[in-house]
Amino acid sequence: MFVAIVPAYNEEKRIGSVVQSLFEHVDKVIVVDDASVDNTSEDGRKAGAVVLNHKINLGQGAALETGHEYARKINADYVLHFDGDGQFHVEDVIPAFESLKKEKADILFGSRFLDNRSNMPWFKRYILSPIGHLVNIIFGAVRLTDVHNGFRILNKRALNKIIISQDRMAHATEILALTKKHNLKYIEFPVKVTYHEYGQSATGGFKIVRDLLWGKVVRK
Amino acid sequence: MLLIFQILFILFALFAIANVLGKKREGLLGPKGTLFWILFWFIAGVVVIWPNSVQQIANNFGIGRGVDFVMYIAFALIFFILFRLHVKFEELKRDVTKVVRGKALKE
Repeated sequence: MFVAIVPAYNEEKRIGSVVQSLFEHVDKVIVVDDASVDNTSEDGRKAGAVVLNHKINLGQGAALETGHEYARKINADYVLHFDGDGQFHVEDVIPAFESLKKEKADILFGSRFLDNRSNMPWFKRYILSPIGHLVNIIFGAVRLTDVHNGFRILNKRALNKIIISQDRMAHATEILALTKKHNLKYIEFPVKVTYHEYGQSATGGFKIVRDLLWGKVVRK
Repeated sequence: MLLIFQILFILFALFAIANVLGKKREGLLGPKGTLFWILFWFIAGVVVIWPNSVQQIANNFGIGRGVDFVMYIAFALIFFILFRLHVKFEELKRDVTKVVRGKALKE
């Protein structure tokens, strides 16, 4: 069973169409509504997704891990991480999935840098991304062309090994560090990202580093 | 003769101890915490009334003035408590995540 996990926070505008289009490529769609104040849950449910509700906002990392727990429970064979804001494109799902299986990899990471389809703002491309690379090297993550891309496919082995403890945005680096720690075979695959809003800001970047540092100190 | 500062500090220390006892009665402080904070304010009071009492200890540690010695200890203590609080806070966040996740999965 191939399951899509869609973390969503106030995405009523796009969640319905994201879920519907995902159903053409996966067996089940799980929307994790991270305490949205709009109709994200209802719209997700109407589109046919299983909706899990966080009663309070915990962050994207926590939402993904909630989705993981559910996927482990229903014995999913593969999970797809797919953002709820419509920045990814479902046409990438099947080619990526085929590539993961063909290469016998445990985990696949989407990358915006392997082709030229993504309209990445220059500040992100030339300033934030290099900083992201540096942070990943410091925190012992595997090296990728695209460090913070939310498009991922995990097989069962990866699903069981990657337990996200970083609730907020630092989960992206944590997943890479866990990939390395558990010796998971990983590949990168070109995906298209369309930016609707700016996304990760510079202050957000500082928060990631802070969370990662605290993650080293506090017990899991 | 006591300085105004000393009088005010003693009053504050007494107020703080009363507060500690109150929290103990409400069950918010355990016996260890209660003892620690009462001792803390008691010692602070003693040091404020008899500043020279710490002079000897300071000398033993190779620190010139008793006040400096108190300052160093106070800073170390404050930062240690701050660190403990922060860790506790992060642990609480993890616990909240567990509870919220558990509830989300149950429904």
